[in-house]
Amino acid sequence: MREKGSPGRPSFGIPGSSLLQRAASLLGRHLIFVGLAIFLAVFPIWAKPLSRPLGINLIMVMRMVGIYTVAAVGLNILMGYAGQISLGHGAFLGIGAYTSALLALKAHLPVWLSIPVAVVVTALVGLLVAPVLRLKGHYLAMATLGLGIIFYVFMREMTWLTGGNNGLREIPALSFPGVKIGQARDYLRAEYYFIWTLALIVLLLCSNLVRSRVGRAMRALHESEVAANVMGVDVSWEKIKAFVLSTGLAGLAGAVFAHIQGYIDPNLFTITLSIQLVTMVVVGGMESIWGAVAGAGVITFIPKIVEALPKWLGEVPRWVEKYSNYEGMVFGLILVLTMIFLPSGITKGLADLVRYRRNPFVNPFRKKAMEE
Amino acid sequence: MLDFWRNCPQYLANGLANGCLYILVAMGFNIIYNSTGIINFAQGEFSMFGGLFAYALTVSAGLPIPLAAILAVLSVALLGGLMERLIINPLRRSSVITAIIATIGASIFFKSLGRVIWPLEAYKVPEFTPGNISLPGVTVSRQFLWVFALTVASVSLVYVFFNRTRAGKAMRACSVNRQAASLVGIDVFRMSLYSFLLAAALGGAAGLISAPYASYGMGLELGVKGFTAAVVGGLGNVFGAVVGGLVLGVLEELIPGFLHIVLGISTGYKGAVAAVILIAVLLFRPQGILGKGMVEKV
Repeated sequence: MREKGSPGRPSFGIPGSSLLQRAASLLGRHLIFVGLAIFLAVFPIWAKPLSRPLGINLIMVMRMVGIYTVAAVGLNILMGYAGQISLGHGAFLGIGAYTSALLALKAHLPVWLSIPVAVVVTALVGLLVAPVLRLKGHYLAMATLGLGIIFYVFMREMTWLTGGNNGLREIPALSFPGVKIGQARDYLRAEYYFIWTLALIVLLLCSNLVRSRVGRAMRALHESEVAANVMGVDVSWEKIKAFVLSTGLAGLAGAVFAHIQGYIDPNLFTITLSIQLVTMVVVGGMESIWGAVAGAGVITFIPKIVEALPKWLGEVPRWVEKYSNYEGMVFGLILVLTMIFLPSGITKGLADLVRYRRNPFVNPFRKKAMEE
Repeated sequence: MLDFWRNCPQYLANGLANGCLYILVAMGFNIIYNSTGIINFAQGEFSMFGGLFAYALTVSAGLPIPLAAILAVLSVALLGGLMERLIINPLRRSSVITAIIATIGASIFFKSLGRVIWPLEAYKVPEFTPGNISLPGVTVSRQFLWVFALTVASVSLVYVFFNRTRAGKAMRACSVNRQAASLVGIDVFRMSLYSFLLAAALGGAAGLISAPYASYGMGLELGVKGFTAAVVGGLGNVFGAVVGGLVLGVLEELIPGFLHIVLGISTGYKGAVAAVILIAVLLFRPQGILGKGMVEKV
């Protein structure tokens, strides 16, 4: 209140300058967002000429990065901000994917309707299993892992609904009234724009959310549940909110995935996917919305780059070519090394390192020792 | 219903055999939890290596089975020690979530390593003594006797270690209060190493006797079930794991059997039983059925 009327900031005097100033401040606050949006908008122009020499279909990969970003942002809020781990989020992508696909296939719902319904259903399932959030640390990790296993078994065994191991095929492509996306001539590019528009909206909403009262409450309970409780934060309710939000976003990612992929089966949504999502969050940086984008990008591109290596180098040893065989070793090493050397992830960790060069008092590595 | 009762002895026998494996894995979880305060998500992978090493030493290298068994357990223990030094020790000052993620990383690294070296879906580990034993209503393989004997031997050895040796007593002191233990001169970090050696050896033994088949994918399942057994017995209660393992093993046979025969539900749901038990126990009785486990305090 005081700032508005304070004589030092006469910004409301001249209308033109205030608008400019406000635009500038808005731009400053959302610099990363605007930069990312511009980059993504012009990306397809370079993607085509670059794709052939690189041997990677960049647009196709970037579609997946967008989908993973949506899921990873949700998981980042849950893990990074609220401090609650989940090793079962792959299953929630599965629930979203199956719900949307089944609604479109069996109930003949249009895709633009089936996706939001799938999001709501997944969020409701998240709410239903939210009592596990009473658990902490290891217990929560194992309980969510158990949830993932239970959902996987149900997806596999409810053959009358889900088709069992054969999965669902010929899922309708993305489409909206008046707009063709999945049936468009250059459908990859159309889907790319659709997915990233969605992802950017989600990113913007979430980055606002974590700066709001809810976001501060979540961070408070991450630091210390007791202290947060004493300060009047309803700890269990905040946890549930974060969890339901993250499951809803996982459902959204899964639903969109089902419609661009065209087929799904239970083996796409196993513990492997859950751990990939956790890896994205951890590598990108917990407690950093933009880290989710970086993490999703890095983790999605690594396999593609390894697969493209033979085209770049001409000849590589046979064992390098068979990436899927040692994929787990790469992810495992990344996880372990990140935890040991850069526990706050690449975005935040690198920023902290730079800051430390300038100022020895924010050394992220010495801080731990000081606290003890 | 009658069919179900007739099958019960068989369920019990199978359940006890599986329960023995869960006991060994669960004890590994408890030992590491007690001396370091973390849950080792790679515990199941120790069992995987136990089975695959046994295969490599007997079938590929042609060693006699007893020698191969001992060598396999020792190599897995070594691997556990290596993991402690390379991953757990550098993270000793980090938060719980960091340590969880690091052990998950180790787990998928191990699984993938196993897959690179032993890429097939299943490797036949030779049984100690082949053949079956038939009793009225029950048929079990002779291997079952070995499983039972080895489990009893391992549990007794661990009991003696914790009650009669200096290192074992020091580890128990660590589990009560690590800070106090280090104040009276116990090297807490060495105890952490010992706990990984011991837990890996137990896990390796479980994999070894889980014949007839071993594969790179068996770790996750055994890990989840072992953890469930540990929780059922009370996490941190090393000998509660014995009760937990047996209860879980038997329930895991009885429940799907009942559902299948009486209600006609597919046995494919068996995979979810342990997870349901795990979540139910965590939510409604987190201290375990014996009530001696540690409940996380604020």
